[in-house]
Amino acid sequence: MGAATLWSFMVPDAAMFQKPELARIFFFHFPCAIVTSIFLFLGPYLSIRYLVSKTPEWDVRAASANELGLLFGVFTMATGILFSRVQWGAWWQWDPRQTSFLLVLLIYGAYFALRAAFSDESKRAANSAAYSVATALPALFLIFVFPRLPQVESFHPTETIQKGLLKGDYGNVTLVMLVLFTVLAAWLYKLRVRAGLAELALENMNGNLEAHSGSAAPTGVVRPVPVSREG
Amino acid sequence: MNSWQREIKAVFRKELASELRTRSGLATVALFSIAAVVAVAFAAFNIRLGGSLASGLLWVTLLFTAAVALPRAFVTEEEQGTGDLLRLIARPEAVFWGKALYNLGLMLVTGLILSLLFFTMIGRGIEHPVLYLICLIGSCASLAGAVTLCGALVAQAAGRGALAGAIAIPLLLPLVALGVAGMRVALGEGALRGGEEAAFGLVCYGVATLAIGPALFAAVWKS
Repeated sequence: MGAATLWSFMVPDAAMFQKPELARIFFFHFPCAIVTSIFLFLGPYLSIRYLVSKTPEWDVRAASANELGLLFGVFTMATGILFSRVQWGAWWQWDPRQTSFLLVLLIYGAYFALRAAFSDESKRAANSAAYSVATALPALFLIFVFPRLPQVESFHPTETIQKGLLKGDYGNVTLVMLVLFTVLAAWLYKLRVRAGLAELALENMNGNLEAHSGSAAPTGVVRPVPVSREG
Repeated sequence: MNSWQREIKAVFRKELASELRTRSGLATVALFSIAAVVAVAFAAFNIRLGGSLASGLLWVTLLFTAAVALPRAFVTEEEQGTGDLLRLIARPEAVFWGKALYNLGLMLVTGLILSLLFFTMIGRGIEHPVLYLICLIGSCASLAGAVTLCGALVAQAAGRGALAGAIAIPLLLPLVALGVAGMRVALGEGALRGGEEAAFGLVCYGVATLAIGPALFAAVWKS
C-alpha cells in the first residue's frame, strides 16, 4: 500500500482538474466508494443467509460486513468532501452522488441504531437482518439509479472508465489501488468475523459454565422476611 | 373467499374497529398533518411557491406524517400485550397484509386531505390531476409498506416510539427524489415524460416494498 501511495505521487498531474496536483485524492476516494458498494450488497446477502439458517455465525458475518461498509463509507465521504473543497470550491455541493452517499451512511446508522435497541441476541439478529435486506432496494436506487436520472446533474463523471478516459499511469495507479483496497477490505472483514466468532464462542462458554455451576440467571426467588405480629 | 383472504380481512377489520373505538391514531394523524401543512403555508406566507418547492414541502409533510402515524399498528400490539394472541391465530403474512392495507388506506385518506388543504392554502392548482393521483397512490403504497415493516421490526425494541421513525426515514428518503420529480410535473413544471417515469418508479417501489415486506416480516414475527 505504501509503495502504491508513493507511485501515486510520482505519476504526472491530471490535466482536466482545477488543481491537478491535488486530484490524487481520487486514487483513495474511488476504491473506497467501490468497496463500500460491495459491502452495501454483501450485508443484505449475508442477512438473507441468516434469516434462512438462523445460525448466529451468519449474523456475525452480516454485522461485520455492515461495520466495514460504514467504515469505508466514512472514508469515501471524507475524501469526497476534501476533493469537493479543493476542486469545486465548497465542502458540500449537494451533488447527487454526495447526497446519495450521505443517505447510504444514514441507512448504516439506522441499522446499528436498530441493533443497539435489542438486548436479546436472537431478536437483535433477526430484526436487524430483516432491516438489512429491506435496505437493498433503496441502496440499489441510491447507487445505480438516482445519480443517472436524466433530470439530475452531477459533477461526478459517469462514463470515464467506459470511454477509456482513465489511461496511462493514472489508470494503472487507480487499478492497483482498487485491487489493494479490495484485498485490505477482505482482510479486515476476515479479522472482524474471526473476532466476532470468538466473542460468540466466549459468550456460549460463559453460558454453559453458569448453567453447570448452578448460578444461571436469577429466577426471581422470594426470600422469607420475618414480620412481627405487633407490626 | 379462501383462508388467506379471511385472515387478512379479519386483521384489517380488527385494526379499523380498534381505531374507531379509541380514535387516538386518527386524532394524532389529523392533528400532526394539519399542523404541518399550516406551518408550511405559514412559513411560505406571501410567497408564490414553485412546483418543485411545493411538491418537496408536501412530500416532506407526507413522509413525517407516515413516520409518526404508521408504526403504531405494531407498537400498540406489544404495548397492549395482544401481539402474542395475534401470533397464535393468524399467519405472519396475513398479519402484515392486514396492517399494511389498513395503513395504506389511512395514508391515502391523509394524502388526499393534505393535498386539498395544502393547495388551497398556497393557492396553486394541479395541472395533471391523473398523474398527481398516480404519484400519490405510489407514494402512499411505498410509505405504507416500508413504515409498516419498520414498525414491526421495532415493536419489541427499547425506545420503539422514536426508533420506528428514525429507521424508516433513511429507507424512504430515496423516494423523496421520485415523489418530487413526479409531483412537480403534475403541478406543471418540467416535461410530462419525466413525470410519468417518476410515477412509474413510485408505483414499482410501492409494489416491491409491499411484496418483500410479508416475507421479511414472517422471518422475524415469531422469533
